[in-house]
Amino acid sequence: MNKSASVVIVGGGIVGTAIAYYLTQKGMKDVVVLEKSYISSGATGRCAGGIRQQWSESSNVRLAMRSVRHFENFKKDLGADIEYIQGGYLLLAFDDEEEALFGKNVAMQRGEGLDVSILRKHEIQYRFPYILLDDVKLASFCPTDGHANPHLANFAYARAARENGARIYTRTRALGIDVTNGRIAGVETDRGHIQTGVVVNASGGFSHEVGHMAGVDIPTESFRHQIMVTEPVEHILDPMIISFSRNFYIRQTFSGNIMMGQGDEDDKPSFNHDPSWRFLTEMARKMPQLFPFLKNIRVLRHWAGLYNMSPDAQPIIDKAEKVSDYYCAVGFSGHGFMLAPAVGEGLADWIIHGEPQEVDLSNLGLDRFTGEVVRERNVV
Amino acid sequence: MSCLSNPDLLVVGAGPAGLYAAIEAASAGLTTVIVDEGISAGGQLVKQTHKFFGNEDFFASVRGFDIARRLLKELSNMDHVHNLQESSVIGVYEDGIPVLHLPSDTTRLLQPERVIVATGASEKFLQFDNNDLPGVYGAGAVQTLMNQFGVMPGRNVLMVGSGNIGLIVSYQLIQAGVNVKAIVEIADRIGGYEVHANKAMRMGIPIMLRHTVIKAIGTESVEGAVICEVDENFRPVASTSQELAVDTICIAIGLNPSIELIAQAGGEVKYIPELGGYVPVRDDNMRSTAEAFFVAGDVSGIEEATTAMIEGRVAGLTVVKDLKGNTDLKKLESLKRELVAFRNGPTSARIREGLRKLGIVSSSKEHQYGNPNNPEKYMGKMRPVIECYEAIPCNPCETSCPTGAITVGENINDVPVIDYEKCNGCGICMTECPGLAVFMLRELPEEESALIGIPYELIPLPEKGEKVHLLGREGETLSDGVVQRVFKSPNKTHGVYVKAPAEIAGEVRGVSPVSKTDNTYVCRCEELTVQDVEKAINDGYTDFEELRRRLRISMGPCGGRTCRLNTLGMLSRKTGRPIEEFAPGVLRPPSIPATFRSIAGQEGAKDE
Repeated sequence: MNKSASVVIVGGGIVGTAIAYYLTQKGMKDVVVLEKSYISSGATGRCAGGIRQQWSESSNVRLAMRSVRHFENFKKDLGADIEYIQGGYLLLAFDDEEEALFGKNVAMQRGEGLDVSILRKHEIQYRFPYILLDDVKLASFCPTDGHANPHLANFAYARAARENGARIYTRTRALGIDVTNGRIAGVETDRGHIQTGVVVNASGGFSHEVGHMAGVDIPTESFRHQIMVTEPVEHILDPMIISFSRNFYIRQTFSGNIMMGQGDEDDKPSFNHDPSWRFLTEMARKMPQLFPFLKNIRVLRHWAGLYNMSPDAQPIIDKAEKVSDYYCAVGFSGHGFMLAPAVGEGLADWIIHGEPQEVDLSNLGLDRFTGEVVRERNVV
Repeated sequence: MSCLSNPDLLVVGAGPAGLYAAIEAASAGLTTVIVDEGISAGGQLVKQTHKFFGNEDFFASVRGFDIARRLLKELSNMDHVHNLQESSVIGVYEDGIPVLHLPSDTTRLLQPERVIVATGASEKFLQFDNNDLPGVYGAGAVQTLMNQFGVMPGRNVLMVGSGNIGLIVSYQLIQAGVNVKAIVEIADRIGGYEVHANKAMRMGIPIMLRHTVIKAIGTESVEGAVICEVDENFRPVASTSQELAVDTICIAIGLNPSIELIAQAGGEVKYIPELGGYVPVRDDNMRSTAEAFFVAGDVSGIEEATTAMIEGRVAGLTVVKDLKGNTDLKKLESLKRELVAFRNGPTSARIREGLRKLGIVSSSKEHQYGNPNNPEKYMGKMRPVIECYEAIPCNPCETSCPTGAITVGENINDVPVIDYEKCNGCGICMTECPGLAVFMLRELPEEESALIGIPYELIPLPEKGEKVHLLGREGETLSDGVVQRVFKSPNKTHGVYVKAPAEIAGEVRGVSPVSKTDNTYVCRCEELTVQDVEKAINDGYTDFEELRRRLRISMGPCGGRTCRLNTLGMLSRKTGRPIEEFAPGVLRPPSIPATFRSIAGQEGAKDE
């Protein structure tokens, strides 16, 4: 294992490997990624792979739009097919409050240059006839939203970073970060010590703990989120369909499996990864009401991953104040996969050039939680 | 219904182990629910039309289905027993154990105090061309069709594997009026009991040792099979291939413990090949490392019905002790002694070795393995590597050597010894050895590679400069290489020299032309072939979990029962790391695919 590195990234998920990719792509060679398990073992490998630009906060919209441009060029830039499909995201509104919110959001999103529109009930029915729309008021739809296979994207970043010279150590756990006089001296791992002056916390569900290693207080908590997948069936669903009030998302993978999940309001912060029967029964009762074709399809697997939540459900991308050159890209609150390309790009620039340059990360700092917190509402 | 939902004990699987576990528990007054997938209880017993071995206490000379009948009768006289037939446990969750009733497609949630997992095993799968054709069966399926459903699986059968199951099912097929064309056995000796083999042979079934199936022929279903001899390294020798006109290929190459539920319960599992693969870690009371979960029967290690029954009783009695505070300790100890006695014979050597690795005591014999000759001293010199460790009467290597470098000696059964000083590296021994056991080797340290000579008897002979797959001892593709030289011999055993990376030089023992077709399936659910898996491993996906996510292997409806162990085996061979070092991957619930309807329709919920 390397005895020293210019940058040590803690976490081999999509965020960590995207940062490693951009750092090495921009000329930095001496980059090490530590992954305690295997590539895509954490939230990346457990997520649904949605790529959405329809957010309620404009900074999220901009960041997501920038990511989408990277996903559109992914095959060309990284030479990997990640099963990226731009089938759109259909957001369903079920009550007056959502109807009003969607109108406001779409106006803001259009102002940011996003191709998004409101669909009336008959338009939804015409375009997506397999949904039972009884209680649906309207929908917003963005055709350039979509989804991809998170494993393949994660592997592609890891592979490209390695080809650029990065060292990615899997089954290697960061145990501690040495800080002397406010400066980082190195990272202690279970396979030896690495001398470094720069650490990036990209540890997903464990961001608070990896912050603690350097004495940086990161206000994140992890929650279990469960997800399930059916046997593969003929292709029927182009878009990813979600609802905030009905608390679900659903999409069909490239291989035909239908994947869906929901948040659990009762769950307490924890690192619990075990799926529950209750989740399966709730989904089995809820989902066929809107998607009747599911009734006779078989559930193949279900599992759980961690949402690393920040107080306002928006990511924390920042450089710590007390410890120099301690960066964090954490607290993605369930949408890290889709934002990873833009965050990777911006953070790499920040490390190399001292600022994020073209990527606007200005509203995502650690200091924003001192005043009033404006929560991102478009989260399942 | 509430005692059904919250029983003292849930027994999963009503085979010999499960039934006996339930009998011990219920007779001590525990409320016991038995969940079983079959149309009738008894597990494999109901298919077993042969008489059992053993002693009188354990049904010697009684036929399997009669044993099932007796056990069920005993259970039916007991209170507190609920038998949920045609039902399957979906998974073990933090909030309970859902059970799917297959005919009604409904589920119900159980919250038992203790669970005895007696789920048995699934069949190991074999990779050969067109192995996805209808007509390729596991022996268990053939037995179910034939002995349980009364359906003839085919007219002409090729049996693959001469273990007890292969031998017994062959005999049963003959009894059912089916023609068994042959039993092929890749090993050089019959795997099962001699008596079973004699029985089959008396029926006129040829047992072809060192033979395997390499291809199924047919378009819509099996119309034939190509079998051929294998050499010492289990490589098919294509020149010996022959076609058999069969409509059924029955695979009986071993069993794989069904450990999913124990793994989901958080019980530790360990790879112990002697016990059939991954098995739960457990103590001699059959308790897994998940305290409330016990195992019994094949799930705890592939063995046979008599020990399964004893293990079931041990588990049942221990559960009684857990929940009632006491149990018949005398009976428990005597059963444990019985287990040790049963495993005392020479045919249980593997079981003893497997149990030893689990820390479970039983008497065992140490085996010595011969030391191969050691060519490492002559690094960089072209020289033969003779992989002939078994004492067989054979000495062409000695008599053909022009420099007298090879000595077998007076006793022709001895293994050859080489004097590398005298050897000039000509390679004649390679082309003379009838066993194709001589390979040529020359390290090229400056290139971090090696030149390897392979004896080759197939047509067409590769040409110099041709790209070929470099194969390992089990025919697996290790890497690709280019032919450097072809040494044609008048005796038709030619020498093909290839260059291989230094780290696999000791493993390359064959070459095969780069073929354009690839339909040797590892994973039938996701239609992944050997080449798909090998390519991904070559691409660097050498962590089973990464491989799984890269290819979706083991993510289909079978949940990896078919492909998991074979994939781990490929990973192990290609990386040179033992299977034990790989995590077996997460065994995610549900263990059996269940419809939305069944999950939503539990506990009396109405379905429109």
